[in-house]
Amino acid sequence: MSASGRRRRGALDSGFTMDETVAEYIRRTVLKIPRHEIMEMLTTWDFLSKTQLQTINMHQIKESISQEVVELCEENSASIKQAAILDMIYNHTYRNKKIWTVYRMTKAAGEETDSFNLADFKYNFKRSLRSALKNVTINFREYEDNATWIRIAWGTQYTKPNQYKATYVVYHSQTPYVFISSLRNRIPLLCQALVHASNYHDIHEMELRSRCLDSLKDIVFKRYCQTFQTYHPRPLQERNVAPEKVDPRIIQENKREKERIQSVNQEVFGEGLQPKIEFAQYKLETMFKGEPEMDILTEKEPFRCVVKFSSPHLLEALKSLAPAGMADAPISPLLTCIPQKARNYFKIKERKGILSASCLGP
Amino acid sequence: MDTPDSGGKTPLGRKTAETGINFTSSTRFSRGLTFIRTHTLFGQSPTRRIIPQTSLLQENADSQKIAFLLRKQWTLYSVTPMYKFSYDNLKEYSRLLSAFVATEKQKGLAVEVGNDLGIKVTLSTFLGLKGTDQDQIAILVQIASRSQLPFENAEDKVVWSGWFCCISGDDLLESVPEDFTCLSLFLANGAESYTAIVGSWFQKTFDCYFSRLTISPLNLAWMAAMWTGCKVDSHIAATELVFSVPCIPQSLDISYAIHPEDAKALWDTVQKTPGEVTQEEVNLFMDCLYSHFHRHFKIHLSATRLVKVSTSIASAHCDGNIKILHSKHLIGVLMLLTELAISQIQ
Repeated sequence: MSASGRRRRGALDSGFTMDETVAEYIRRTVLKIPRHEIMEMLTTWDFLSKTQLQTINMHQIKESISQEVVELCEENSASIKQAAILDMIYNHTYRNKKIWTVYRMTKAAGEETDSFNLADFKYNFKRSLRSALKNVTINFREYEDNATWIRIAWGTQYTKPNQYKATYVVYHSQTPYVFISSLRNRIPLLCQALVHASNYHDIHEMELRSRCLDSLKDIVFKRYCQTFQTYHPRPLQERNVAPEKVDPRIIQENKREKERIQSVNQEVFGEGLQPKIEFAQYKLETMFKGEPEMDILTEKEPFRCVVKFSSPHLLEALKSLAPAGMADAPISPLLTCIPQKARNYFKIKERKGILSASCLGP
Repeated sequence: MDTPDSGGKTPLGRKTAETGINFTSSTRFSRGLTFIRTHTLFGQSPTRRIIPQTSLLQENADSQKIAFLLRKQWTLYSVTPMYKFSYDNLKEYSRLLSAFVATEKQKGLAVEVGNDLGIKVTLSTFLGLKGTDQDQIAILVQIASRSQLPFENAEDKVVWSGWFCCISGDDLLESVPEDFTCLSLFLANGAESYTAIVGSWFQKTFDCYFSRLTISPLNLAWMAAMWTGCKVDSHIAATELVFSVPCIPQSLDISYAIHPEDAKALWDTVQKTPGEVTQEEVNLFMDCLYSHFHRHFKIHLSATRLVKVSTSIASAHCDGNIKILHSKHLIGVLMLLTELAISQIQ
């Protein structure tokens, strides 16, 4: 069969046998890619030549396609570095499959922001990580929006890096923000390397997590449409509402109230599309206080509860609550402050002296 | 003919003799039953319920079998009384049901006649699951796939389980003629296809009817209140209420979890009458929780739909799923579920 003939020839020529683990990793990565995306991703990868790509039979089961790809990689003597790049391409396209946590770096007081040098950053980052841990695979890839993607596969002192549990870091060099996913227990190590390489002083985790990486960026880079303080609220006629051909005998009883709710809702949530986050969590440690006639608990201890909101598009869902009659307008600032405060995890304690909730915590 | 009398009982035995054996009409129940507790007519929720005492589990309860019931997800069904079911014929029923399951599973497959797929069904009694002495003995049905291994003591793997019980179903038992067995609550764990097969066999053989027992938000609120009030010594968990918000373009779920001590403290302040829970107390408990939530988020939880309740002793979902976590409170939970099953049958 021609396929095996190819393989034998390749192996003999270069005297190189691709590492079994690399072959398996490439095979599994290709298997993950949806069929209609495979050719495009392999082209972006730019590791196999056009002629090689043309030889792949795309009309067979994916197991066979990935097998053919592995054989071609064998011809080209693929190493773990190339395999990692393919994985990065996959994860960049399907970045919304991971949960991203946002970190923010800070400068020490008085420090100047140096101009960013990518080569220095990469060199220092690798050096910092490798000095603590020899068995680690590090890859970089830059994208147009000034995002530097870093892929790190972690090993231990005695074991090789686990390529299947790699951590991803997205760093926008013009900002102090870093987005990290799939990080289990290497936080101090990674943070130290980031801070050192980017010439910052410190880094801390923000209480902001979501699957939608682009929305996280919108939130921290303030790219969503913010509410503006208006002294003269726009009169309602400016809204582009086509006049409805409604029977004049039908009267909407709560028309004024409905309009008030709509306008207040627009004010607190803003005009534009909300950033996409999937959950928000509030740890409440406030005193129990019901309606005045229900002064039930005389305890002076807080009523501890945890409230979690989840939705495919949480902020849009919350925005629709008041018009649907399920929430007051304006809805609580605890919910509308999520984009401005750039957080979706809150700890609410009783403010001393005044019995109302406020945001505390880091 | 008998007038529909809400107070007295109709002699149902006579009615059955006149109209034949089939006892499928449910209207006969609603006519003549008296409720010992102040239940309401026409399937409404009771205004008060007795708090079941713990440790009602009878001494002859098989602790291993009981442990088998705990920490598993069970799907709930209500079952109308079964005609001519006999506890003496369990072996016969096992054999018949095994054959039925095998036939149903093989439908559409070209297999030799008589070749069984290694499926074995057993019906057995489940002692100890009773609320009162009048309750019928619970029945456990299990489908096991015979071990493919050659040696003798290779264990069969249980692939599906279902059990019938009726805890304190006095109201129903009193009005049912002798040939009928009341095991109103059915719980199933395992593949839906097996549940359907077993259900249809029982329906055909004993002329009964299974229907999914869904739990209304009102009853879920009762469960939240009653179960939060139960005293638990180990494996204490938060009281969690899950709400689903209807009528908005994007779906939204709200989970409201209260620290178990604080939830119990609130309930203890609300609940006044010892040994009994009233609708007003449940409403007050829920209103307190809604009000605390509203203070922070300005959202009216009462306008949303309560779909799931989790407490230390059990968790229940509105689709009719239950998980019981403590053996001490097993009977209490089953008693409440039996009551819901009976009111669904009526």
